[in-house]
Amino acid sequence: MAIWVICEEHGDGLRRTTQELAAQARRVAEDGEPVVALAVGACVGRAGWLDGRVHRVVKVAGGGLVPFSADPWVAAVAAVLAEAEPRLVLWGEGTRAREVMPRVAARLGWPAVANALALEAADGGARVLRPVLGGKAYQWVSLGGAPALVAFRPNSFDPEVAADLDTRVEERSAEPCEDRVRVLERTAGDGGRVPLTEAQVVVAGGRGLKDAANLALLEDLADALGGAVGVSRAVVDAGWADHAIQVGKSGKTVSPALYVVAGVSGAVHHTMGMDTAKVVVAINTDPNAPIFKYADYGVVGDALQVLPALAAAVRALGT
Amino acid sequence: MDIAVLVKEVPDLEARVQVVQDGGALDVENKRVLNFFDEIAVAAALQLKEAGGGGRVYAVGAGSGLEAVRRAIAMGADAGFLVDDPAVDGADPLTVARALAAVVRAEGFDLVLAGRQATDDEAGLVGPMVAELLGVPCVVGVTAAEPADGGLVVGREVDGASERLSVPVPAVLTAEKGWVEPRVPQVMGLMKAMKAEIGRRTLADLGVEPVPPLAAAGYHGPRSRPAVRMVEGEPAEAAGELVRILRDEARVL
Repeated sequence: MAIWVICEEHGDGLRRTTQELAAQARRVAEDGEPVVALAVGACVGRAGWLDGRVHRVVKVAGGGLVPFSADPWVAAVAAVLAEAEPRLVLWGEGTRAREVMPRVAARLGWPAVANALALEAADGGARVLRPVLGGKAYQWVSLGGAPALVAFRPNSFDPEVAADLDTRVEERSAEPCEDRVRVLERTAGDGGRVPLTEAQVVVAGGRGLKDAANLALLEDLADALGGAVGVSRAVVDAGWADHAIQVGKSGKTVSPALYVVAGVSGAVHHTMGMDTAKVVVAINTDPNAPIFKYADYGVVGDALQVLPALAAAVRALGT
Repeated sequence: MDIAVLVKEVPDLEARVQVVQDGGALDVENKRVLNFFDEIAVAAALQLKEAGGGGRVYAVGAGSGLEAVRRAIAMGADAGFLVDDPAVDGADPLTVARALAAVVRAEGFDLVLAGRQATDDEAGLVGPMVAELLGVPCVVGVTAAEPADGGLVVGREVDGASERLSVPVPAVLTAEKGWVEPRVPQVMGLMKAMKAEIGRRTLADLGVEPVPPLAAAGYHGPRSRPAVRMVEGEPAEAAGELVRILRDEARVL
């Protein structure tokens, strides 16, 4: 048996979530159980970080795998896993896992768990924690000895792991696979910023910012902290910001190390998207706003004054 | 174009939830609604039916999802089906997907729509699983679709980029917020939904053998944070103190 990690690339290297999964796989592996990383497509040339940190890297190159497309990825990943019969296959939550993991599960007839938050070794296998009922409760799920696929939210694990192994690399090529979906047009993404769901720091704002122009205050603090910007549903509904950066039930779920939230009252719609953040700072003019129940630290005040003051204080720290 | 919409009934977000039996079970207030993203899928199906010059829109639910199926009919779907089998509640997503795929295969389809995810488990597994079982392509998180050259041109936002994709039919698409604003059902629709004959199928009818679900190993409530610590003072003063705390005590800076 082995624990497999499905790699994803970011920039010139691997997505931080891939590193977290590899590190956690090492921690929960049984004695002598290898950790294997599967590097498909664009990951093939970016897998350097894995050297010494996993027992084996399986690289799969081939037509249609770069740029990412679901059909060839499903075929390539399912073909490798079917042969390997792993105990656990770990994925990082995101569009790619959403498109590929359920289809691989259906193709191989293996169980899948999405949106998981924790992975621990347990008697006779492993257990994973996942939210149920929109994060109003969490459930432990036992995985027995049979293969299972699990996707974890970014920032669920510490990515630090010793590079003390003698890593074996295998290179394979994927069978040609027809890609039924054709890209007509793809605009460049927001290259500079960290993706919202991966960011270690998220600065979020709501209607308390009073005007679309004031979202710049979120941007400025996020820049000072090296983080990403999120907004509440009300801000999206008002047309101030794009749905792509909405945090909450109908938007993204984030688990950063630090979540700074200003001018958001704290309706369950919003909190279910951020309640697994490690440290939460809330800023609101109303001392009784529900958001303070979800916060570790609170400031009663006007976001338009507190946000710039915070950005200045953070920058002063760096100088 | 015949369009199947996969619908799930979920507890309302405002429903009270309590962990009971020492973490052995959940007590959930019985306030249930059609999943937010499935509502978008239903509305999108109705819009595509119009744009494609007719056809049939039908909803398919499973387990305790009867009201979700009726809601879809009230919104304008032509028919509804329910996998009505005690083995479906709490079943593995793969069992649910196999059952839904069997209904869709039997009823015929040019397109299958589903929500991007359900608001209860936020997993998004069943839609793409159904695509794989039907042997058709799948695009998740769709925010636009229109008929073109016998197939569809589909739009979506992915990691900050916008994509336009050419998708052949049949296919499975999962609906993201922003595609269509669902309409509130009219009285006529509600009456029709109440009277509608829902086609019920058991797993045995569909020839689906349930796969054993993963074992639940206990529940707990959300992490309870210690009471919030308020940082006092004028903005500049409070900000300075907060940054000190975040660096020296919380150690996140």
